[in-house]
Amino acid sequence: MQHKNSMEEVDEERSLTMDLSVPFSSIREAEIAYRTLSVDKEPKRGGVKKTFTLNEKVLQIHFQAKEARTLRVSVNSFLDHLTLVTQTIEQFGPPVDT
Amino acid sequence: MVVVIGFEGSANKIGVGIIQDGVVLSNPRRTYITPPGQGFLPRDTAKHHQGCVLQVLKEALDQAKLNPNDIDAVAYTKGPGMGAPLVSTALVARTVAQLWNKPIIGVNHCIGHIEMGRLITGSDNPTVLYVSGGNTQVIAYSQRRYRIFGETIDIAVGNCLDRFARVLKLSNDPSPGYNIEQMAKKGTKYFELPYTVKGMDVSFSGLLSYIEERVPQILKKGEYSPEDLCFSLQETVFAMLVEITERAMAHCGSQEVLIVGGVGCNERLQEMMGKMAEERGATLFATDMRFCIDNGAMIAQAGWEMFKSGQITPLEETWCTQRYRTDEVEVTWR
Repeated sequence: MQHKNSMEEVDEERSLTMDLSVPFSSIREAEIAYRTLSVDKEPKRGGVKKTFTLNEKVLQIHFQAKEARTLRVSVNSFLDHLTLVTQTIEQFGPPVDT
Repeated sequence: MVVVIGFEGSANKIGVGIIQDGVVLSNPRRTYITPPGQGFLPRDTAKHHQGCVLQVLKEALDQAKLNPNDIDAVAYTKGPGMGAPLVSTALVARTVAQLWNKPIIGVNHCIGHIEMGRLITGSDNPTVLYVSGGNTQVIAYSQRRYRIFGETIDIAVGNCLDRFARVLKLSNDPSPGYNIEQMAKKGTKYFELPYTVKGMDVSFSGLLSYIEERVPQILKKGEYSPEDLCFSLQETVFAMLVEITERAMAHCGSQEVLIVGGVGCNERLQEMMGKMAEERGATLFATDMRFCIDNGAMIAQAGWEMFKSGQITPLEETWCTQRYRTDEVEVTWR
């Protein structure tokens, strides 16, 4: 499953990248986090591209940016969001059977 | 029986409320309060919300004595509002909607205020004055839309009051507007301010700069007290609002007026509006701080109406938007 999250194409060769792997305790929880976090678009002029890949219980996020500054802002805010989603799952989960 | 839980976090309040067929089962909230002289910034406000939203959610469920499986749908504020706080709140709504396997509904914040006001006051088809820190609109319902008759062309009336409170270094606890209202009660001498009504619209930014520029000198000279200035500001801006509301009522032939939004709990505004309504033989409807000020139940209530009329939002479309006009929403429940 792949999901591109930016309108703007960033030149792969000349950009900074960062890869993040987030393991969850079940495939269902990883899917919930993926579907929650992939909705919000990156700000158009931020020049950051965020790509999600869901690999069973592991959510992988690839960041690509033109500048270290914008990359930091994007990754920082993503980590805050991830923390909130993880805490929500811990406190109000586990997911009911569908 | 339909139970909807609503998440609100578009400004400096984070609230979660639960509504069951027109009954508010719970409606806890927290307010991010900044030191005197300072406004609230998006990032810090988002951090505040992230830090307490789960506690507020737990309180909402506990006070309503409900389990997640008693809930039929999850509603959240889609906009308008500040981006970062909106997203933080939406994240929790999306997560619980999936954990509990419930449909999710994106709600327009302004519609939330209107529907909550209608529910609480029992008004049927009012002309609505929606006044808060971020919005100032005169609204009337016609043909499946809440139409905007008049609005501010620059800053919101609440923003004008908040920023004036910063000049006087008034406390932001419980809110700057509340403290201005208390001071204004002791004011007696009217300081003339620019009165800016342009057709059906109002403007507050010129008035704000006018008073901001003059405050240091006025106070130094001792001609007017801070209380007098609070009084004069309130009288001027509220008169402007009452004027455009009256014109909208005359235009629509409306016999009901409803005040919603955070500034709506100001008793002087209610008094002035009540007087106008009385002279027209109309009825004033207003609510108190629990429901005027941003809260989760108002989002639950609008969500309840939307859900009952068959509106739900696909999860992939549950993004937030800082700009979202009241008249963009098709009213499918009236």
